[in-house]
Amino acid sequence: MNDLQAVLWVARKDLLQEARSKAVTVATVFFSAVTLGVLAFAFGENPLLMREGAMGALWVALAFAGVISAAQSWQADLEDGALEALLTSPVPRAAVYLGKLLANWGLMTALGVLLLPIAAGLYGARLGAAWPPLLAVIAAGTLGFALIAVFYAGLTANLRARESLLPVLMFPVVVPILLAAVRASNALVGSGDLGLAWAWLRLLVGFDLVYAVVCLVLFRFVVEA
Amino acid sequence: MIDAAARLRRPLWLRVYLGITLLLFLVAATFGLVFSPRDVNQGDLIRIMYAHVSVAWIGFVAVGLTAVFGALYLWRGKRRDDVLAVASAEMGLFFASLTIIGGMTYSRPTLNTFWTWDAKLTLTAIMVALMVGYFIVRGLVEDPVRRGRVSAVVAIVAAASLPFNYLAAEWFRTLHPAKSVALDGSGVTMDPTMLQVLLLNTAVAGMIYLGFMFDRVRLGRIEAELEAERAAGAVGGGAGGKEVVRV
Repeated sequence: MNDLQAVLWVARKDLLQEARSKAVTVATVFFSAVTLGVLAFAFGENPLLMREGAMGALWVALAFAGVISAAQSWQADLEDGALEALLTSPVPRAAVYLGKLLANWGLMTALGVLLLPIAAGLYGARLGAAWPPLLAVIAAGTLGFALIAVFYAGLTANLRARESLLPVLMFPVVVPILLAAVRASNALVGSGDLGLAWAWLRLLVGFDLVYAVVCLVLFRFVVEA
Repeated sequence: MIDAAARLRRPLWLRVYLGITLLLFLVAATFGLVFSPRDVNQGDLIRIMYAHVSVAWIGFVAVGLTAVFGALYLWRGKRRDDVLAVASAEMGLFFASLTIIGGMTYSRPTLNTFWTWDAKLTLTAIMVALMVGYFIVRGLVEDPVRRGRVSAVVAIVAAASLPFNYLAAEWFRTLHPAKSVALDGSGVTMDPTMLQVLLLNTAVAGMIYLGFMFDRVRLGRIEAELEAERAAGAVGGGAGGKEVVRV
């Protein structure tokens, strides 16, 4: 089995596990819907505020859901020594990371695509012709988010107080990614400023590349069976 | 016990070093407060800059060095590198917090606001949060090897934002002034006297960093020995613990 196959097998395992248990799907869809609702209450009855906050709310909901998804992907492996088996299997640690990343990124992108029209409808933002580039922003933003979330979830997987530790550690790191994603989305929805959106998207891809390199290099020090 | 008390005391050379540092700090402050010319636009407010910029530079260096020591620990696995990393991390958190406080002091009278969420300020605030996270993680892991590794990883990720921070004032429209001293050799856009005063203040801030590093590393090594001794005692059923591990 070469390394690429190993990556795909780990991703397949995680997705298959998810398809059978649906633990992440149920939790993230429900939780992000609740988050969108709560934020809608927080914005009050000002339609302008709602419209302008639509993309911000979408990304907050995605971020919160992403933490659950990443934590769960390691949590499930902690049972019955599955993580030990995974880590002792003769594949590079980075392949395990990339596999989990792939599965998480897939789930989060799907969630983003699902939430986009819901957020737009709930907050009264008109997507119009903006949706194809918005999908690119969602793909790049969730990639950056998943890179860090999966990395830190692996790091905290067998620590005490991991549930509270994971968001404390990872949210400061993902702030630049969230910021770039929100700005790029807002530029597309609000003014339809493609140039501005492109600038933020480029920055977002830059963050993705930097963190991809850092996380891949460091990952073998992160997990321990 | 006598041996322990003697080891806890600061050695003479360190006390002398810290004394000299304090004196030089007073000299540098005097240069900044008295001998530096007034700025054309900012008047006397420019004097805050000497404290703010020097502290910020050393803060970034401290965070960067934390990551370097962390990387060395991951590479060689020597406890000593972890001790150095913690010491540098404490100074990094201290100097980065001072940077934010100094920046707010400087920005209120010159830019008419304490804070704005622009790229440079946000990245610095995030860096402080990351360094706080570094210590939270350390507090939660008991095994020294695992603790060293995990915190090294956290430090390296924190330092990965430093290049963005360095370039932020040029990449984005921001309230934070652009660099007046470029590291790429493209020159210095600053009055020569002011530059000298700034460099003097930076050198002293560096000496303060080093002084605290020496002291903290000294304490860190004692901590590490104590921890190893306790671990040995626990394994030996309480009766052991004779074996002292020198770090």
